Amino acid sequence: MSSERTDTADVPPLTEGIAPGTATDPDVSSDEPATVTVDGIEVSLDAGDTLLDAVEAVEPDESVPALCSYDRQEIGPRSECRTCMVETDAYGVVPACSFPVEDGMTVSTAAEAAAEARDVNLDLVLSDHNLRCTTCGKNGRCELQDAAIDQEVEEPRYGVLDDREEYEPIDDSSSFIQIDRNKCILCNRCVEACNDVQVEGVLRMEGSGQDTRIGFQNDAATMEESTCVSCGHCVTVCPTGSLVEKGIEDATTIPIPGFTQKNSVGKTYENSGETKGPMTPKKRPERPDADGESATADEGSSAGDDPGGVWSDDGGDWP
Amino acid sequence: MAAVGSTGVGAVEPLVLVTHDGRTAAHARCTPDRAADVVAAAADDPDGIADGADAVVEHEPGRPRLPALDLSGLDAGDRRVLGACGWRRPTEPADHEAAGGFAEHEATAVRDAAADLRGRGWGDWCRDRPLGGTWDAARAADGDPCVVVNGHGNPADALLLASAPFEVLEGAQAAARAVGGDRVVVYASSDDARAVEAVREAAERYPDPAASVDVVAGPPEYRAAEPTMALEAIEGNHRLEARLRPPGPEKEGLHGCPTLVHTPRTLAYLAVALREGGPADTRAVTVTGDVDAPATVELPESETLAAAVDAATVDGEFKAACVGGRFGGVTRSLDVAHAPEDLAEAGLGTEGVVQVLAEDRCIVEFVGKRAQFASETNCGRCVPCREGTTQLAERLRDVYDRNYDAAGIEELVRVMERSSICAFGEDAGRPARTAMAAFESEFEAHARGRCPAGRCMETTEGIAQ
Repeated sequence: MSSERTDTADVPPLTEGIAPGTATDPDVSSDEPATVTVDGIEVSLDAGDTLLDAVEAVEPDESVPALCSYDRQEIGPRSECRTCMVETDAYGVVPACSFPVEDGMTVSTAAEAAAEARDVNLDLVLSDHNLRCTTCGKNGRCELQDAAIDQEVEEPRYGVLDDREEYEPIDDSSSFIQIDRNKCILCNRCVEACNDVQVEGVLRMEGSGQDTRIGFQNDAATMEESTCVSCGHCVTVCPTGSLVEKGIEDATTIPIPGFTQKNSVGKTYENSGETKGPMTPKKRPERPDADGESATADEGSSAGDDPGGVWSDDGGDWP
Repeated sequence: MAAVGSTGVGAVEPLVLVTHDGRTAAHARCTPDRAADVVAAAADDPDGIADGADAVVEHEPGRPRLPALDLSGLDAGDRRVLGACGWRRPTEPADHEAAGGFAEHEATAVRDAAADLRGRGWGDWCRDRPLGGTWDAARAADGDPCVVVNGHGNPADALLLASAPFEVLEGAQAAARAVGGDRVVVYASSDDARAVEAVREAAERYPDPAASVDVVAGPPEYRAAEPTMALEAIEGNHRLEARLRPPGPEKEGLHGCPTLVHTPRTLAYLAVALREGGPADTRAVTVTGDVDAPATVELPESETLAAAVDAATVDGEFKAACVGGRFGGVTRSLDVAHAPEDLAEAGLGTEGVVQVLAEDRCIVEFVGKRAQFASETNCGRCVPCREGTTQLAERLRDVYDRNYDAAGIEELVRVMERSSICAFGEDAGRPARTAMAAFESEFEAHARGRCPAGRCMETTEGIAQ
């Protein structure tokens, strides 16, 4: 799930201060085995399976990208991209990756409303993605590229993120992991890998609207200043070229003379030289806040037990 | 002498009501001096209270609700649910008790009353749906249920919390009893300080509450009224985003417990239905926009939008209305009843807010700004809303560049409605979709470089602002 509860007594102290900034989703998995029909074919599902498992068990009439779904290691479903919408008899158009399965459900992938939603939503993902595949280290092993090819996208109806004015700098400050947020689709896999699987509490979702981005829980501006221990789990789950391992960040780029990932984006945070790579900096004991307060120590646990207080934005970055 | 809350009709306030012997005289828009004079005169000669009054009404002595007064906004008949507003002292239990409040109702009676009662407002998890099924699910779920009163962001809800908090709390206590819950959390925007203060004081003075009551002020952002974001705010998350559904809060809500999320309106209607042995077939409606002052009125569901707009004075000539809150539907016609099915059929929203747009307003500009607002204030979680609202705002801006792609905008709005996680994204495209249908010629005129309202075109000579 996207974030573990931090306000119950049985949470180990280790996770108390983790604040991924994401909602605490309900459990969307089914309790019992079920049989559903996908495009006319019956599929038997185990307890805990999703409609997406059913869709993937057959040759569906229409391809269902389910771009942001990861479905391993307790990561997801985030159900953010909505490119897995399918039509059900009982509930209309629903996201296959995160809709609780009920015995006897009938699912159609080719229904017009669902197909249109998948198609438009994939184009919406592309509209905010810097589609510079030729200089991307994930060229040829990118889930967004695969989905776009499967869906036969030729000309995304909303264009792509190609306004260089709007690009965020590449974060090349860490010795191990490079972040290019212009390629991020905000699937939240890295945040969950970091907080729920590795329990490191480094990455978080922050901001809102078009300013939504992956940031650091210690408010650092760069990876180098974060409390990252360079375990690399976030890189292994990233579907796009947003998080890549240093050393192979250009492994699959197409060599066009004079044209690189960095000059295509135009701005980069480079390593300050203070950290000695390849060596992981020691994890800091607390976040270096300007006000000297540990911004996680006095929320979470207290806010949950005492809802009588006035809500305060405690060092967060919004509104 | 008693200080009461607002009636919801700002245009006649400060309002001084003098009641004596089955007669009430109203003095509207009182200065402190005039109020002092009125009070002194009434003390001298209680039978002469009608002298100089703006309206006088005869009623039963000891009447528990504000009588209909011949004043704009207060003349729309019996206020069965808003009646406490401006009549009873908001935080005085004795006033509420005298009106028949604080009666204990059997859980089964509460469930019967709620079975067909529909949730009101987008802050209500059961918006426009009968509460019964959701309550059954909460009772069947594991854990102790709790009731969240979501009074965030709607003017009628804030009015009830500020002027009639006992109506709301009584409904919440009844709901808690009906589902076997022992905890109520009242949630409102920190911008509605009066509402937060009043309901907090009322909660403290509530006689023998069966369920504990906490009051939480949440961040003032529009999105914080969405039921699951309300839960996130109450739980103290520093960042708000919508939760996945299903299952909804009735199965896994506040701190994982089964949770009912209802607006103050829903709960006040429940309390009144229990007291009177049947639901009031009325709607609380707030008229805002190009009017002299916002007015919250209570009208029969069969009454039209026109009757609501009559409660306020339109600034200039009426042109259109955005019906259903921030992301309501835009309509030229006010000849639509308030019942949710009538509004839905007309493509309008059921938030109970009618924003009047006067003749000098440009519809294209209006819906463009709404789309822009949606793109800047959404939680950022799901693609159809986060990216969809951005594209919608851009496509509406393209109209100024002589590029009006109606089919493309319709397709986008359709997908946002069908695939967004929460009601924010589902509703965000409605102003644009409905305005394009009702004001097609205005959009086409803009695409030809002309603004019929004469507001936009100086700017489109260069670049549209």
